[in-house]
Amino acid sequence: MTIAKYIKLYFKLVSAGIRAQLQYRFAFVMRIIGMITAYTGTAVTMWVMLYQFQTLGDWNFFEMLFLFALSILSWGFCIILFFHFRSLDTYILNGTFDRFLVRPLNPFFHFMAMKFDIASFGQFLFSIVVFVIVSFQLQLEWTLGKLLFLLGAIVGGVLIQGGLLVIISAFAFWTTKSEQFYWVAMFPARNLTYYPLAIYPKFIQWITAFVIPFGFVNYFPTTVILNKETPYFPDYMGYFSPLVGVLFFGLAYFIWMLGLSRYKSTGS
Amino acid sequence: MSIIEVNNLQKEFMIAKRETGLVGALKSLVKREFVKKEAVKDISFSIEKGEMVGYIGPNGAGKSTTIKMLTGILVPSAGQVTVNGIVPYENRQENAKSIGVVFGQRTQLWWDLPTIESFELLKAIYRVTDQRYKENMSIFQEILGLDEFINTPVRQLSLGQRMRADIAASLLHDPPILFLDEPTIGLDVVAKEKMRTFIQEINKEKEVTVILTTHDMEDIEKLCQRMVLIDHGQKVYDGDILAVKERFGKMRTLVVDLEDANSSFHIKGGELCKQEGNRYWLRFNRNEVSASDLITQISQTHNIKDLTVEEPDIESIISRIYQEGFIEKQTVKG
Repeated sequence: MTIAKYIKLYFKLVSAGIRAQLQYRFAFVMRIIGMITAYTGTAVTMWVMLYQFQTLGDWNFFEMLFLFALSILSWGFCIILFFHFRSLDTYILNGTFDRFLVRPLNPFFHFMAMKFDIASFGQFLFSIVVFVIVSFQLQLEWTLGKLLFLLGAIVGGVLIQGGLLVIISAFAFWTTKSEQFYWVAMFPARNLTYYPLAIYPKFIQWITAFVIPFGFVNYFPTTVILNKETPYFPDYMGYFSPLVGVLFFGLAYFIWMLGLSRYKSTGS
Repeated sequence: MSIIEVNNLQKEFMIAKRETGLVGALKSLVKREFVKKEAVKDISFSIEKGEMVGYIGPNGAGKSTTIKMLTGILVPSAGQVTVNGIVPYENRQENAKSIGVVFGQRTQLWWDLPTIESFELLKAIYRVTDQRYKENMSIFQEILGLDEFINTPVRQLSLGQRMRADIAASLLHDPPILFLDEPTIGLDVVAKEKMRTFIQEINKEKEVTVILTTHDMEDIEKLCQRMVLIDHGQKVYDGDILAVKERFGKMRTLVVDLEDANSSFHIKGGELCKQEGNRYWLRFNRNEVSASDLITQISQTHNIKDLTVEEPDIESIISRIYQEGFIEKQTVKG
């Protein structure tokens, strides 16, 4: 099948997924409200904390808010595209995963196209409001170049975080349960992105730059946009976000397919 | 060449040994021991175009493992498989185009959407042309009566309706081969009968080769001329269903609960095969003696509290075949 046909099919499958999701309107609305409330809560905590100290490292409240909003924005896209990979283990355990293997499609594509979680509307609303507020407060000038850079950073961030979700889901092919890896890897990694990496020990900064590259999700791009110092790293790191995203996601896809071939020889 | 060829097919799994108790569980966290399990030991058969074959055996016999290898979900440990000239595990996507698969317990339809939408999505997935789609849908509407529930969300369908929709969905792309895994499981008697008629008509109408796994001996009797019986990963019987029926289908078991649990009793024409407390199992050949005859005999000397007559199920037929050594590995000519 050609790429164009795959893309067309993707939209068809995804629109069915959205219609299915909209069957449960109450749950849908509650999730959006829940997300906005949760992130606003985190932002308020940040403010309370910084009210005492004024700055964290050399980051002030609005700079940190920008960092936070960028993380939430790309996470929002990531939820839309990849969040259901978290439940791959359930599909494998109850046998419904086999359905993806009796269809003439790439199973990764087919699984990815099964859901399109538009309830992350809350994340978008939150992060866009925050971007507007912060832009005024810090008097940011949004040139076309800067907007394109931001777009690249978002793409990179989606691919990096989506890549980690994909890698975690692939563990299910070996262990049949992968939910716990989500709490061990995804949750801490995402929490690290809420604060500037500069405040963490060198060791952790190094890991988030080169091992699980979550530094490229928001920290490095933000330092470029806001002209911040990046201790231990050159200041042009942020430009590599899209590239790191593509490479990391490629690695994730490779691991997933490796897991799939193991699944096909063990059955569970 | 036959449409399905299976030669010396084998599949073994490594299964983590589960230790009992908390200490055992902790021990297996650190060091896991694996046990080799041969799910399919050495199975060969070939199936001709248009045949309807019952692939049966007790739980854990290796039925679904075989089906998974035929559909390309699993890679065999050894042996050869070809389905419609394709090696399924090497060319899974190509193979998927020429097979339809129905897992009785798991639907392939989109749960929350009106039934028709699943068909439209499958049309896109299998790239069925508009014309084929129209033609097939009108055939399904005629045979399976999809019209009555086509706009109902799948989750609101009755089990019988859902199975009909599932079978139609698996045939939308005109596969020459159809795998039906427990297509009548959980259905009531009427719905079962309907389902069997549909399967028969579809086999006739579209010349589809059907491989059917089931626990229901009646499914096999009504649908298939041939059955492949497997147990413990090995083929026990392959051939005409009539031969098996003649040999074992005439055997019935009379189960009686007596008021007094006394001693032995000898009943002419009935062979006592099991006893538990007051309950006695008597096997008899229904061509030689009738159930009422046996009951009359028993009631002369004992007080009967309750009784039932059991027809042979697959498990008991398999155990009979083992006991009596009916292992003629005859294959239908092909």
